[in-house]
Amino acid sequence: MDRSEIEQRVKQVVCQVLNVEAELVKPECHFVFDLGAESVQSVQLVAAFEAEFGIEMDNDAALKVKTVGSAVDFIAKCVG
Amino acid sequence: MTMTAKQLSKPSPAGCPAERHPLDFIFNPKSAVVVGANASPGTVPYDIFHNMLLSGYRGTLSPVAPGKANICAVKAYRYVTDVPDKVDLAVIVFPAEVVERALEQCGQMGIRAAIIISAGFREAGPEGAEREQRVKATCAKYGISLIGPNCLGVINTDPAVRLNASFARKMPDAGRIAFLSQSGALCTAVLDYARDKAIGFSKFVSFGNKAGVSEVDLLDYLHNDDQTDVILLYLEEITNGRALVEAARRVTRGQNPKPILAIKSGRTAEGAHAAASHTGSLAGEDVICDDIFRDAGIVRVASIEELFNSAIMYAYQPMPRGDRLAIVTNAGGPGVMATDAAVRAGLSIARFEPPTTAKLKAALPAAANIKNPVDVIGDARADRYMAALDAVLADPNVDQVLVILTPQSMTDIEEIAKGVCKVHEHATKPMACSFMGATDVVPGVRMLQEAHIPHYILPEWACRAMADVQRIRQWREDLPQKTDRLPTDHAAAKAIIDRAPEGYLREDQALAVLAAYGFPVPPNRLCSGVDEAVRYAAEIGYPVVLRAVSPQIIHKSEAKAIALNLPDAGALRRAADQMLRHIGAAIPDARIDGLLVRRMIPPGHELIIGAERDPSFGPVMMFGFGGIYVEIFKDVTFGLAPLDLPAAARMLRRVKASQLLAGVRGGAEADLAGIEQCLVRLSQLAADFDRIIEMDVNPLIAGPAGVGNAVADVRIRLRAS
Repeated sequence: MDRSEIEQRVKQVVCQVLNVEAELVKPECHFVFDLGAESVQSVQLVAAFEAEFGIEMDNDAALKVKTVGSAVDFIAKCVG
Repeated sequence: MTMTAKQLSKPSPAGCPAERHPLDFIFNPKSAVVVGANASPGTVPYDIFHNMLLSGYRGTLSPVAPGKANICAVKAYRYVTDVPDKVDLAVIVFPAEVVERALEQCGQMGIRAAIIISAGFREAGPEGAEREQRVKATCAKYGISLIGPNCLGVINTDPAVRLNASFARKMPDAGRIAFLSQSGALCTAVLDYARDKAIGFSKFVSFGNKAGVSEVDLLDYLHNDDQTDVILLYLEEITNGRALVEAARRVTRGQNPKPILAIKSGRTAEGAHAAASHTGSLAGEDVICDDIFRDAGIVRVASIEELFNSAIMYAYQPMPRGDRLAIVTNAGGPGVMATDAAVRAGLSIARFEPPTTAKLKAALPAAANIKNPVDVIGDARADRYMAALDAVLADPNVDQVLVILTPQSMTDIEEIAKGVCKVHEHATKPMACSFMGATDVVPGVRMLQEAHIPHYILPEWACRAMADVQRIRQWREDLPQKTDRLPTDHAAAKAIIDRAPEGYLREDQALAVLAAYGFPVPPNRLCSGVDEAVRYAAEIGYPVVLRAVSPQIIHKSEAKAIALNLPDAGALRRAADQMLRHIGAAIPDARIDGLLVRRMIPPGHELIIGAERDPSFGPVMMFGFGGIYVEIFKDVTFGLAPLDLPAAARMLRRVKASQLLAGVRGGAEADLAGIEQCLVRLSQLAADFDRIIEMDVNPLIAGPAGVGNAVADVRIRLRAS
C-alpha cells in the first residue's frame, strides 16, 4: 500500500469520525486544535483506523499521535 | 502578575477616556469567546458555553469550535483569529496540550484577558509546570490578564454583565459578597450551600493555579468594586504572603474599607522545617497565619459555615456601635447558652436602662424574665416577641439583638418571623435570629433569609458571627500601622554583616550588631586568652559569664562551653581551664576563636525574641517566654517585620505568660516599653538586611522597670552574600 493511498483512507476515516469536511483535513492538522476532536473521539479514531487498515495499534502509542500527517506515518509503519 | 497599588490606581491620560482596569476585561467583558467549545452536553467545553448563554450574558458571545458550524445555534468559528469582532475575554477550554496555541492566537488578536479552565499544568507534574511557564510567558508577551489555569471559572452577577464563565451548575443570585477560592471543587459546594441559605454573590472566582492573577490582585480590584461589600477567601497556598498582607491592610482599612474573611487550609509553603533556632522551628507552623492574618485585618475562620455565618452578619446588617448584646428568647435554656457563648466570644451582655425594664415588665407576664436575656417564656406568640424586641432595640445600652425561638406547640413561627422582618425594616441596630430546629421552623427561616436577616441554627453561631464583626470594627478603629523607625546605627551593623561569611555570626559580632541597633547589650569582649579574660573581667566587674567561641559549637550548654556567675579571677581561670579541656576532648576539631567575657545580668524573666525569613512572608518576628513556655507550651506569637510599637505591644499581649511581666505575687513590673522597643529594633534589623536568615535573642532578660532589660545571648545566621 503506498503512502498516498494511506493518506486518502486516513482522511476519509477522520472525516467520518470527526464529522468534518474533507477540505479541512490536511496533513499538518492537529486533531484537537484544528479539527475539534474530543477525547472520546480520539479513542474512536484509533479503533476506526484499526478497522480500516486491518491492523492492531498499541493504544498508548496511538493516542500520542497528534496530527493527521503523523497518523499517516504511524499507520504506514504498522502496515509495513 | 501581582500589580502594584500604584498601577491599580493609575489615573487615565488627560483628554483620553479612562483606560479600563486590566481585570475589567475579565469581570466586565463586552465580548467573549469560548475557545475549544464542543457540541457534547455534559462535557466542560460544552457546559461552559451553555452556562454563559443561559446566564443571560449581556455581551457578545462566540464559540471557537473547530469542525463545528455552530454550538447551541450560535455560529462557531474554527480559530480565534476567525472571529471578526473585537474580543475582551477568552475562556479557554481546550485540553492542556493545545492551550498555548490558542493563547498565542488570543494574543495576536489583542485579547486582553483569558480564563484557562483546563487542567494539566503545574498541578500535574513537571511537564505541566513547564507548560504553565510557557503560558505565563505568552501572557506576559501580550499583556493578557490570566485567571487559572485549572480553575472552575469566574462569575459576575452584576445585572449589566451576568457572566457565568464557569462550569458551576447554576448562576448564583446577585448579592454583595465576593468569594475567591483556590479550590474549584469547593466552589460548586459553596454555590449550592449559599443557594440554600438565599445568599447571593457579587463576584465568584475560582483562581486555580494562580499563574497570572492572584488573590492579591483580586483583593485590590474588589476593594474598588461598588458591587462588593465583603470579600471571602479560601486559600491553600500562600505564594506571596507579604503582598497579601499589604493588600489586605489596604482593603480593610482607610478609604472605603471592606472586611476580608478567610479560610487558610494546609501549612505554609515550606512547612515546618528543622532549624537551629526556636523561631525557625516554630515559624514554619500554620500558626503564624493566625497572628499575621490578624495583623493584616483578615478575619481567619475555620470552616465554610463560619465564613458565611460571619459574612452575612457583616453584609446584611449595619455595623454595631459596640459589643453589647441583648437576647430575646422564648426558652430559658437556649437563652443562657447564648449568654455563655456571647461572653466566650468576647461580646458583653447589655444592661438595660430602667425605662426598658419598665416597658418589658408592662408588656410581659409576671413569669417572664425581664433582665437580659429576656425570656418571653414558652407560650409567647408574636405580640410578646415584638413588644420585647421594640423595648430592647430602643435601649441606648444595646448595640445588637439576637432573637431565639424554639418551636413550642403554640408558637406562631411565621407570624413571629413576619414581625421580626417588619421591625428589621426600620432597625438601625444589627439583628440576628436563631429559630432552633430543622423542620417546623423552615417557613419562618425562609422569610428571614429573604429579608436578609442573618439566621443561625444555633445561637452560639450567631454570637461567633457577631464577635467576628466586632473584630472588624475594632480593627478599623485601631491605629493603622506606622512606619516610624527607631534610631539605629545602620552603618555599624552593615560593616559587620557585609564582611561576615555565610553561617552564624561570631557571638561578639552578633552582640555588636544588636548594640548598633540600640539593644541593651551588657559590656562584653572577645578575649584571645585567659589572661586577657581576667583583665577584662576586672575592668567590667564581677560576676561575669565566660563562653568559648567556636564556629563548631552552636549549643553552648550541651558542649559545656559556658560558665555563668563567675565571682572572681580564680573562678574564671578554673572555668576557662575546665571548658577548654572538655572541648578539646569532646570536639577536638573545634576551632576556638576566643573567650567571650561579659557582665552577668541580674535574674529576671527570660524572653525569646526571634526573626526568620519566611519564603512567602519575608522576615517574621516571634516573641515568647523562654524555657518550657516556648518548648512545651509553645506560648509564642508572631508578627511581620518591620513592626511598629503598637504592633509590638499587641504581640506582647497575645502571649499568655506576658501577664507575669505586669508583676504578680509581689513581683516587680517589667520594663514593658523596653521589651516592645527590642521587638521593634530586631524587626528593623531583620527587614534591613536580607542576608539575615534567622535570629534568636535568647534569652533577653527582662528586669524590673528601672533596671531594664539585657541581652544574654544571641544567634544570627547569614546566607552567602
